[in-house]
Amino acid sequence: MAHKSDNSSASDQSLVRRAQRGDTAAFEELVARHRDKLYARAFSMVRNEDEAIDLSQEAWVKGWRRLKQFQGEASFVTWMTRIVMNLCLDHLRKQKRLRTDSIEQMDEELGGVERQMPAVSVNPAAGIERAELRAQIDQAMNQLTDAHRTVLVLHEFEGLEYKEVAKRMGCSIGTVMSRLFYARRRIAVLLGGLREELKA
Amino acid sequence: MNHQAELRLQAWLDGELPPGGAQAVAAWVQRDPEAAALARELGATKTALLGNEPERALPESREFYWSKIERELAPAEAPAPAHGRPAWLRGWVKFLAPAGILVILALLLFGPMLRSHHRPTLASTAEVESPLDDISSFTFDSESEGMTVIWVNTE
Repeated sequence: MAHKSDNSSASDQSLVRRAQRGDTAAFEELVARHRDKLYARAFSMVRNEDEAIDLSQEAWVKGWRRLKQFQGEASFVTWMTRIVMNLCLDHLRKQKRLRTDSIEQMDEELGGVERQMPAVSVNPAAGIERAELRAQIDQAMNQLTDAHRTVLVLHEFEGLEYKEVAKRMGCSIGTVMSRLFYARRRIAVLLGGLREELKA
Repeated sequence: MNHQAELRLQAWLDGELPPGGAQAVAAWVQRDPEAAALARELGATKTALLGNEPERALPESREFYWSKIERELAPAEAPAPAHGRPAWLRGWVKFLAPAGILVILALLLFGPMLRSHHRPTLASTAEVESPLDDISSFTFDSESEGMTVIWVNTE
């Protein structure tokens, strides 16, 4: 079995190959490398520290058990991210958090209050440090419902097309489009508001 | 602007419209300032979000986090029992053992019933001939009916 220091200089590909042969030390190195990314994605979706930790760990265990199926079409971390994302979706579904109540649903269909507001002219990314922008996005996303945040994560962060988002969330493409529109407009308003607060 | 038009505008920004539809929306955005303003806002939000998923460091040490994962990996890694049977045979044994127990139980429960079913019927009962020359008789014994019938012919 390879020593920890050998593992730290090895590529993901070679660690994956070794892990596929049952080398847990190689797998441990992969976990150490990408654990923050997986945890961050889980947190983006469930917005709860303990749940995000549990779901990310469950994803690693699942990844290990399915490792032989990984053929390297995508990068290892992309593959693992999809696993944690699916677990988060299942988790939200079990807790019925992807449903919207009737008022929210009506809001979605009509585009929400944000629809009536004039377009926000402030560019949220202009003249701001990346870390600060990320912190503001985090703050804004915290104010979205689970259903709206999930659409945003799947489309904007995971880069899935409308039909793929609809399939994963178990809803129609029209609902995805409405939710995405609502979520984007809300984010624009929230980020614009945060920028104004910073200026004041 | 109605909501359907807004959604079409958004789909155009996301590259989800077919070429013909995309050209029509692009032309509309060119001539309608309200549509142009909405397109700018949606585009800016999309750009701000792109590649800016909030980062978050795991609030657990490497060792502690891994130890919980490792515990879950252990059962899958447990060495196979040393009975030396090939994997396919172990699979069959796993299936056949409970099936065998069921068969034995079924035999114990239904065996006596089956035996009683196969007891000789009246028709197949043995015929006993009387040794007397002038009296002929036939005896039928049926265990299942619990009786014995004797015909005596004195003619």
